[in-house]
Amino acid sequence: MDKIIKSLICFCRIFLLLFVLSIWGGNNFCQAQLENQDCIKCHSKPDFKKVLPSGESKSLYVDFSLFYRSVHKKELCVYCHNDVKKIPHPFPLSKVDCRRCHYKGNLAGAPDLDIYAEYVQSVHGMDFAFGDPKAPSCQDCHGSHNIFPPSDTLSRINKVNVPETCGKCHITIYNVYNLSIHGKGLQQRIRDVPVCNDCHEEHNIRKHTDPKSPVFLAKVSSICARCHGNMAIMKKYGIPTEPVETYKESFHGVAAKFGAKTVADCNSCHGSHDIFPQKDPRSSINLKNIPTTCGKCHPGASENFAKGKIHINPAKPEAGIIYYVSRFFKYLTLSVMLALIIYIILDLRKKFKTRKT
Amino acid sequence: MPENKDQDQKSQIREKLKKELEKEIYEELTFGVEITPEMEEKIKGTVSKKVSEELKKRMKEELKRISERKKREEIERKKEKEVFYPRISLNQRVQHIILMISVIILIVTGLPIKFHESAWAKIFFPALGGIGTVRLLHRIGAVGLIGIALYHLLYLAFSKEGRETFRELLPRPKDLKDVWMMVNFLLGRKNEKPKMGKFTYIEKFDYWAVYWGMVIMVGSGLILWFVNYALKIFPKFVADIATEAHSDEALLATLAIIIWHLYNAHLNPDKFPMNKSWLSGKISEEEMKKEHYLEWEKIQKEQRKPSPSEGEEKI
Repeated sequence: MDKIIKSLICFCRIFLLLFVLSIWGGNNFCQAQLENQDCIKCHSKPDFKKVLPSGESKSLYVDFSLFYRSVHKKELCVYCHNDVKKIPHPFPLSKVDCRRCHYKGNLAGAPDLDIYAEYVQSVHGMDFAFGDPKAPSCQDCHGSHNIFPPSDTLSRINKVNVPETCGKCHITIYNVYNLSIHGKGLQQRIRDVPVCNDCHEEHNIRKHTDPKSPVFLAKVSSICARCHGNMAIMKKYGIPTEPVETYKESFHGVAAKFGAKTVADCNSCHGSHDIFPQKDPRSSINLKNIPTTCGKCHPGASENFAKGKIHINPAKPEAGIIYYVSRFFKYLTLSVMLALIIYIILDLRKKFKTRKT
Repeated sequence: MPENKDQDQKSQIREKLKKELEKEIYEELTFGVEITPEMEEKIKGTVSKKVSEELKKRMKEELKRISERKKREEIERKKEKEVFYPRISLNQRVQHIILMISVIILIVTGLPIKFHESAWAKIFFPALGGIGTVRLLHRIGAVGLIGIALYHLLYLAFSKEGRETFRELLPRPKDLKDVWMMVNFLLGRKNEKPKMGKFTYIEKFDYWAVYWGMVIMVGSGLILWFVNYALKIFPKFVADIATEAHSDEALLATLAIIIWHLYNAHLNPDKFPMNKSWLSGKISEEEMKKEHYLEWEKIQKEQRKPSPSEGEEKI
């Protein structure tokens, strides 16, 4: 009996010791997951900021009203900011890697796409991989605490917001685009106008000299043709669709099709971000500016370049003198060949008749 | 009389064949067998029966062989006797070959640009290394063409042969009369073919059509090749006209060559498979009498004319 009671007491002491140890250890080494409430306490204050050694101050304010309407409204802050273990937490936090959830085959409920694979081959992805601090990654375009579906006007990548998003870095182009006819159309909320990603795409942005770029020389005319060759769209604005076809028939179009590297495409003449109507004196195709525009490739271009129609369809009277030239040759060819072929037929007919007798 | 001669020949041949056949069949029947006099009679009977069966067939074969041999001999004799007249000098033949090669290069490299939507254009350009290479080849052909054209003009001006040939090629009112006569003949309304000189209206047409084509193609081609210089002088619509004319006239010239010229030089049943004079430089007397009768006549007259030295000797 003695021995039993003695060993029982020993067991209880060890158990108690372990119990105390585990509580002490747990308190010091194991955290309960931080709730968003813990973050909101500080980060919902509008003037919450950090003053950096350089003297600049970085705002640490998060608009939680926006966050709780965004696509991530059900997530914990620490799911993305997984290097936050306790409060206060160190500064700066490491950049959130969206690949934690956003990959093909994920179980987190994120879209089942492998956007990252495209992104790494793009200009932005490559710069980011090289460590360029200015290179954009997901957050720079999609936002961080304010991510909405593209159809939502709050989304940074909704059509009407795209130019501003890209314009954060591409400032000059953004300013030019806003003045251009497409930019002006966007301001009037015309949905047919192209914004940055309609031509450049989103995750596959490459230099225009890269054959895989959507705006590679030989591909540009197809991109512009998506709208400017589409009668249904162009009808609304009174813009003719024929220039697309006539470009493809022209020397420039044929050369581009068969591998010429330095030939004009749509934007060589019309500009890319600086597209203006011809009557506008800023337009690269305004008659006064034609020698400069054509002079980019044709050294010594003079006003002679402006004396003649462009985007000519020789089969239509609108082509002017070219129409008459093409009709002349058409009828000349038909009549000459008809006469010669009839002569050949008569000759053969006679010879076969004579052979029979 | 030729008929008797024929019959004599035929019976001679028949006799010969009969004897041959008799021998053959006799030997066939009696091979390795001992013949007794009684059997002799029977065998003779069988032999003559078999001979008369075979003889007809053998006759036919022999006669056929003889007639074919005769034909071949006739052709050989004709060939030896055949007279040829010079028609195209070596200089002219070389000019033609250079023209031909240049034009072929130009057409092969040019048409895929005009018909760039076609399936073969899609294969052609990558196969040759893109438009850069094709452009280079086209310009090489152009240099050949312009070179031979300039040479030809000098040849016409400065060589006796050139001047004389040129005179023969000038169009005359007679050519129109010849066309009219020929069309009537081909339609069966007249029985007479026109008699023509060294160059018929067809050859004259082919010669002058090249002038038409050259002026347009070389003129527009040079504007397009040196378009930056051209646009320093001319307004742009001149270059646009050049583009249209170059494209359209190219098609007309190509059709004229592959239909008209191909017929006259190759597919014409009288010339098929090919009129050889562009290589040999000669024309046979037969052909000459058929197609260039007046030229043949002229030559006969010149050959019959006594030379001045002969006349003097007679005195």
